[in-house]
Amino acid sequence: MGGVSEVMTQTRADDPAALIVAVATRGDRDAFALLFEHFAPRVKSYMLRLGAPPETAEELAQECLLTVWRKATLFDPARAGASTWIFAIARNLRIDAVRRQRRPRFEDDPTDEPAPEPPADAIAFAAERDVRLREAMRELPPDQAEVIRRSFFQDKAHSEIARELSLPLGTVKSRLRLALARLRGLVGDLA
Amino acid sequence: MSPAPAPTDNDKKTMTLSHHLSDALIVDYASGSMGRAQSLVVATHLHACAACRGRVAQAEAVGGALLEEIASTPLAPDALDRALARIERPREAAAPEAAAGHARQPADWISVPVEVAEAAARRRWVAPGVWVAPVDVGSGDGALTYLLRVGQGMRMPQHTHAGCELTLVLKGAFDDAGVRFGPGDISEADDAVEHSPVIAAGQECVCLVACDNRLIVKDWLGRVVQAYAGI
Ligand SMILES: [Zn+2]
Repeated sequence: MGGVSEVMTQTRADDPAALIVAVATRGDRDAFALLFEHFAPRVKSYMLRLGAPPETAEELAQECLLTVWRKATLFDPARAGASTWIFAIARNLRIDAVRRQRRPRFEDDPTDEPAPEPPADAIAFAAERDVRLREAMRELPPDQAEVIRRSFFQDKAHSEIARELSLPLGTVKSRLRLALARLRGLVGDLA
Repeated sequence: MSPAPAPTDNDKKTMTLSHHLSDALIVDYASGSMGRAQSLVVATHLHACAACRGRVAQAEAVGGALLEEIASTPLAPDALDRALARIERPREAAAPEAAAGHARQPADWISVPVEVAEAAARRRWVAPGVWVAPVDVGSGDGALTYLLRVGQGMRMPQHTHAGCELTLVLKGAFDDAGVRFGPGDISEADDAVEHSPVIAAGQECVCLVACDNRLIVKDWLGRVVQAYAGI
């Protein structure tokens, strides 16, 4: 796979949204390799945290990145950052694997439409938004951050998290509410 | 009840919704930790509600940020080569799978998932003015999802809310303690308050309900509904 260094000149390797767009528009295998190296080990960790056996976690990480390749044309950097989009793919793969949550089909599905050609500044904006969000999450009060982390990295609804932390359900709900209110201002309106 | 900020609903369907998903439900849904019964109801609200879709997208951005900060676990040394070998083939089109069901979406309901439209054929009248139709979500966790039709002016069956109960209006409306719930609105039962919503005048009300089967049901109608709500 010798081309990785060449792509650096065309596409910034530290900008995953631009890499996904390169996959979508040019079928760029080097861009895909960079995405794989960055995200597959993280997706594997995510699957392990949520209780997948190591072989399954490895397989789901593979499958996640292959889905990135196949669905790259559906990626809309104005709506979601790269890590957000890949998180959603990983989450959906896990849901299917454990037959947990349901993603029902409607006769008319507004999310199945391919994304329009993104303007360059939209990509930069989404990337910057993601960086600000990560910084803000590091600054969350620990009790709020704890509830957010458990929500995403344990297969538990908020009612179970409340039991685990020996907190009233209302306290867990208000911590979630406070954390989201704080973060919401940073990610803006994604509707 | 959802404390959601008043959203600007720019949905194509121009539906004006008043009652939305709570932040707790948004996070459970975005993180993928919601049970199948509840998530079917939540997904049906989301389909109608651009504001809550935006809130789910925001919560997913939190998931994305957490994915960035998680420690890496190395894959097998040949993992990338294997992946690259698998993408040698022409790219598979991201065509949506053909919808399996041919049950028709009832014209006067908000848009429902295919399996909910199908479930309507299983309706059983359980009392004058009331029918129930179980929706098979294969949850296996004691949660029930069902369609509930109650005639105008009637009282809704009563539960004590031991488990989280979600009620989504598909057609018609009910009033709960002076608050109107219309098509697309979702009502999340709280822990303490006992509700006895009344169906608004003018037409029947059809709701999609998810509840814990272990709920203690207070009144006779509620017990009959629960008995027929299981698949
Ligand atoms: Zn809503």
